[in-house]
Amino acid sequence: MRARAGDRLMIKGHHVGEAERHGVVVEARGADGAPPWVVRWEDSDHEVLFFPGPDAIVEHPQPATS
Amino acid sequence: MRVRDAIRKNPQMLPSSATVGDAARLMDEAGVGAVIVADEGVPVGIVTDRDLVLRALAREVPPDARLDAVMSLGVVCIDADRDLHDAVLLFSTYPFRRLPVVAGHVVIGMITVDDLLVDLIGDLANVTRGLTAQVLFGHAEPRPPVPA
Repeated sequence: MRARAGDRLMIKGHHVGEAERHGVVVEARGADGAPPWVVRWEDSDHEVLFFPGPDAIVEHPQPATS
Repeated sequence: MRVRDAIRKNPQMLPSSATVGDAARLMDEAGVGAVIVADEGVPVGIVTDRDLVLRALAREVPPDARLDAVMSLGVVCIDADRDLHDAVLLFSTYPFRRLPVVAGHVVIGMITVDDLLVDLIGDLANVTRGLTAQVLFGHAEPRPPVPA
């Protein structure tokens, strides 16, 4: 799994009623965007160093078009 | 104090294809309460002794079940060069007691709430050493000499 700064990260809830968690990748520490990533969670605005699990989905923002 | 200076044990790792029984045996042999689940060296989850009890034993999951059936997905870590107070902040923010320590992109150790408590108690013993003498061997102040 690869990411770069600015990518959005989504962790799906695993139980009924558990909310999805969203964050933004601030920095990728591994080679070529590999984990660990510094992630800022949107719900708490807290930054953590994070190795994603297989439930993580990375969304690459689309470049703006004119 | 830096986080790397508080590490007491090497990280224990198993691939996600390992079994629940493998994790229990590794915890027993290494004297740890958590195993990092890593595929090709990259952590993808963590399993604790509590996970083995609640997610495996209590649900009658067999010991030969894959570890990824009971692990917690994703691993929150801390950089080895961060101040130890940052680890305390993480422990107060998240509901876990163990925190893998990363140097660069490699997990080099694990710190636990128990480790921090042991250090804290040691510090308290040092701080209170002077008080201990007063409490255990209290004595009256010497009286000033009486003029003749």
